[in-house]
Amino acid sequence: MARETKTVRETKVGTPDRSRRRPRFEGELGSREKTDLDVIGKRQPRLDGPEKVSGRSIFADDVQLPGMLCGKILRSRYAHARILSLDTSKAEALPGVKAVITAKDIGEIDVNGREPVFASDAVTYIGEEIAAVAALDELTAEKALELIEIEYEELPAVMNMRRALKEGAPLVDGKTEGNLWSDDIDNYGEVEPAFETADYIFEEKYEAGVTHNLFAEFHVAVVDFSLPDKLTLYTPTQTSYLMQHALAPAFGLTLSQVQIIHLNTGGAFSGRGSVRPHHYIAILLSRETRRPVKIFATGDEEFLVCRALGENKYKMRMALKKDGTITAFDMEAEMDGGAVGTEVGYFGWMAGLCNSWVFPLEGLRMRRRCVLTNNRPNFLGHGGLMLSTNAAIMQLINTTAKKIDRDPIDLLYQNAIEEGHTGLSGEWFASCGLRECIETVRKASDWDNRYGKLESYHGLGVGIGSMAAGAKGAFRHDTSAVMVRVGEDGIVTVYTGIPDMGQGTHTTMAVIVAEVLGIDPNDMKVIAGDTDLTPIDVGAFAQRGTIQTGNAARNAALDAREQLTVYAAGKLEVDKDDLVFRGGKVYAQNAPDKSMGFEDLVYKTLHGKEGRSVMGRGFYNSPLQFGTTSWSFGAQIAEVKVDPDTGEVQVLKVWVAHDLGRAINPLACEGQIDGQVYSAMSQILYEEVQTDAGLYLNPSRLEYKVPRSYEMPEIDYHLIETIDPFGPFGAKEIGEGIIVVSGGAIAAAVSDALGGEFIGEMPMAPWRVLKHVKRVQRQEAAGRSAA
Amino acid sequence: MLLPDHSYVKAESLEECLKTLRETGEKAKVIAGGTDVIFNMRLKLFQPEVAVSIRGLKDLLQVEELDDGSVRIGAACRLADLIDHPLAGGRYPAFRQSLEAVASTHIRNMGTLGGNICLETRCWYTNNSDQWREGLQGCYKTDSELCHVIKSSTKCHAINNSDTPPALIALGATLTLQKEGAKREVPIAEFYRADGVDFSVLGPGEIVTHVTIPPVSDRQVFIKITPRKGMDFSLGAVAARCDGEGEQISNIIIVLGSLVTAPVVLDKPAQVVLEAGLTDDAIEKAADLVRDELGEVSNLYGRSIYKRQIAIVLVKRALTQLREQ
Repeated sequence: MARETKTVRETKVGTPDRSRRRPRFEGELGSREKTDLDVIGKRQPRLDGPEKVSGRSIFADDVQLPGMLCGKILRSRYAHARILSLDTSKAEALPGVKAVITAKDIGEIDVNGREPVFASDAVTYIGEEIAAVAALDELTAEKALELIEIEYEELPAVMNMRRALKEGAPLVDGKTEGNLWSDDIDNYGEVEPAFETADYIFEEKYEAGVTHNLFAEFHVAVVDFSLPDKLTLYTPTQTSYLMQHALAPAFGLTLSQVQIIHLNTGGAFSGRGSVRPHHYIAILLSRETRRPVKIFATGDEEFLVCRALGENKYKMRMALKKDGTITAFDMEAEMDGGAVGTEVGYFGWMAGLCNSWVFPLEGLRMRRRCVLTNNRPNFLGHGGLMLSTNAAIMQLINTTAKKIDRDPIDLLYQNAIEEGHTGLSGEWFASCGLRECIETVRKASDWDNRYGKLESYHGLGVGIGSMAAGAKGAFRHDTSAVMVRVGEDGIVTVYTGIPDMGQGTHTTMAVIVAEVLGIDPNDMKVIAGDTDLTPIDVGAFAQRGTIQTGNAARNAALDAREQLTVYAAGKLEVDKDDLVFRGGKVYAQNAPDKSMGFEDLVYKTLHGKEGRSVMGRGFYNSPLQFGTTSWSFGAQIAEVKVDPDTGEVQVLKVWVAHDLGRAINPLACEGQIDGQVYSAMSQILYEEVQTDAGLYLNPSRLEYKVPRSYEMPEIDYHLIETIDPFGPFGAKEIGEGIIVVSGGAIAAAVSDALGGEFIGEMPMAPWRVLKHVKRVQRQEAAGRSAA
Repeated sequence: MLLPDHSYVKAESLEECLKTLRETGEKAKVIAGGTDVIFNMRLKLFQPEVAVSIRGLKDLLQVEELDDGSVRIGAACRLADLIDHPLAGGRYPAFRQSLEAVASTHIRNMGTLGGNICLETRCWYTNNSDQWREGLQGCYKTDSELCHVIKSSTKCHAINNSDTPPALIALGATLTLQKEGAKREVPIAEFYRADGVDFSVLGPGEIVTHVTIPPVSDRQVFIKITPRKGMDFSLGAVAARCDGEGEQISNIIIVLGSLVTAPVVLDKPAQVVLEAGLTDDAIEKAADLVRDELGEVSNLYGRSIYKRQIAIVLVKRALTQLREQ
């Protein structure tokens, strides 16, 4: 096989002209006025809450279709092996088996143009799909898998990046030279001069282990492809839109012939952004058998199917001036892409950018190398690579502050950007409450009286960060569309394609529509999760829901209101621009006694001579060609306690201030904060897939340790509203903006509890922390005896 | 993961249960609360042809005080019921702490004392599904002469990860073992064997029917260290008991659990504090001796170097708490 050498791709972007106020966008800006709103800003319990907590919500695994078969996948048990022979005849002969398929049965179909659906000549990781069966029931399907006979010839495998990059290492895919899938360097501004003129340069290394997204809902696909012109797929996803776009061409269908029903999605955490082999396999089995097929992952299979974070290693270099000005970062990341090269390097770029654009840097250099290994193909976890990057940077800054005798919170405040700043990569920050966030948590935590004065093995850490609310780039458009149907009884139904994976976005859309129409969101319905019913929506990722779909919902509601004003203005004899929709009524701005009830208005609009049924439509597409209009900012302080005997870390309290633009639903915002602080704590301190030669030793909810509610720290919430000119009513995001900063604050707090020791490993599991405790104790003892 | 095919016998009496066990021999598995057995059946670690339920056997549900002041507890008593029972958790604080430490509320509501005592040893090379295990060569627990945890070993190193045994050993409990036509009393300290496969002295067709705890002083403690609070097996646990006042003690027993294949009674550390009393120095000295008595600690469920450190910390904490009682 021809060897492929990947050359280093290096880009250079000079310092942008910061004298231009809006360098990348000349569009119209919305009002920054903080208007008095009626529904938005109230604590609205999620509309599907009662259904969820009483177990009545329908998830994909609940779906039972007539004649449905059970699909099971035979997976590789070797990290690297040649398949010498594959015999499915005994499995096919087993009564109850309706189909057995392997690579030779499926033609040219592959997964996202990147990985094969089934391994054919060789397997390159444990868990790789080799064959699949569809049978009348699960037991028969399991038995059939046991009857498939495979002869392997084991091949040398590389199970970590260090070995994969060694000269002469076996090639994972047989062709990529040196197992280096990608090597990208981006330079922004003036990097070398900044380091040359720096008064201090600090450098640290940081490593993060393998994780799983650990959604509550396992991977599952229910498919009906029994008729050739209609493919229906029930599956949890962050984006039915991208799934349609992947599956339609793969199976020779039009987009409309592919119906994705995502129902409720039980968690995603960056792990459900694309189509996976099990989706394709369920479709192929359904096509083959002309019957519906369900495939669901068992407990340990779950850890093989996922595409979560692999091992990541960072080197961080930071340049400072004597006065504490941070002038440049130089970050190098090595990312284990697993057996299939992915765009994880792109997310390394995102992570580097989003964690550094909070500082007005002179220079930024980022190198990301994606390495192939015989591990599970890796992708993203909750908080992506941004969490680990922030944990490294914030620890670096907190420990640096100690070294140069500065208070870390002063150092961060001094270096924090302000509204109107233009970043090195050209982004313009139209709203930015970063400094207000820092001031808020500083005051709330009594930082000035407590930092450096806690009892021993207690620590305080501060982190800051930002997050892009939406990022256009996958397509020329980044469109979300929403329909608003006003029922004859005044009940309003919102149709949206955005999935609610638990973040509460459906309720957010209802609140936005309710604000515009002046109604109670509890009287509304949200129809979602079925591409045959709902309008286009690119999906719930990159924190785009509130800003993109939220704007679409607002536009749809405005459209519906416009239709209602026609009758109301005539009936109340006022100018339609003077009409106010509020509190379930429509009235004249300056003459509130001229009013009518919303329901009455809807009824009369329909029963008037035009028979006008009101349906609003709205869409929103970012005005940019590429990138992001709005960023959230945040500051957090974490307080931890380390047990010096056992190395256990307890997070005692986290103070959170987040500039989210506008809190559409403060209750949901606090829920988002809870969930993300939890997840950050979990990833920084607990989560790790334990491996032995590529075999996952702890693929279960019991052994893959995550904290429980007992470990949850007290949280002090501060929602900072800066009213962004692009977001609906000024809202930006509270998607992953929190988790990134929590990670930094918690990591820095652990470091502070150990007197400023940089802890370069994630998770900071007790055995690792204990090593650092011992090291610090030895140093202290040596210091004492020297004195 | 489905349950393997099996039949289910709900014994109506202890006699019937023991008879069925004799007749079915190795094809049978005793099931009480089912919290561990059912799960291991799903993993196909247990593939019994017959599951013999002892749940609800009246003989095994009694908690009674005997004439000599001992308390006899039926093996089918649920863990949750024993926590607040005046003769069980109420009388023996270390036992109570060990009961409370087991898994979660739900599991304690189903799991039984006998089940906890007979809990299968655990290993992350075996406690995964049968399909997962296909990727590995078999081991002592399945079908090969190999231990994945310590490759050079001639026996299985799966861990005894159960919470109540260290406490019951410290309290000097005795187990009643019965099979059809035979009954014997075995001190729980002699019940476990240092082998992950054949981890107890239970013979074919034999079950634990009762646990008898003698009257002892209140100076007793149980501590468990887990990666998270609750719903977790321990990385290490300790139980200790002594007589005497303040630093002066007699009859001390210190037991470590969850570190190796069986609970370990620490003789030398006990001797040190017995002679010198529970002084700071003696506690330090006793803790230093823990490492030697534990023998080989594997990397199973945690780094061995860390687990040995945990063992030392546990012993120090236990002795310090005893002193304060």
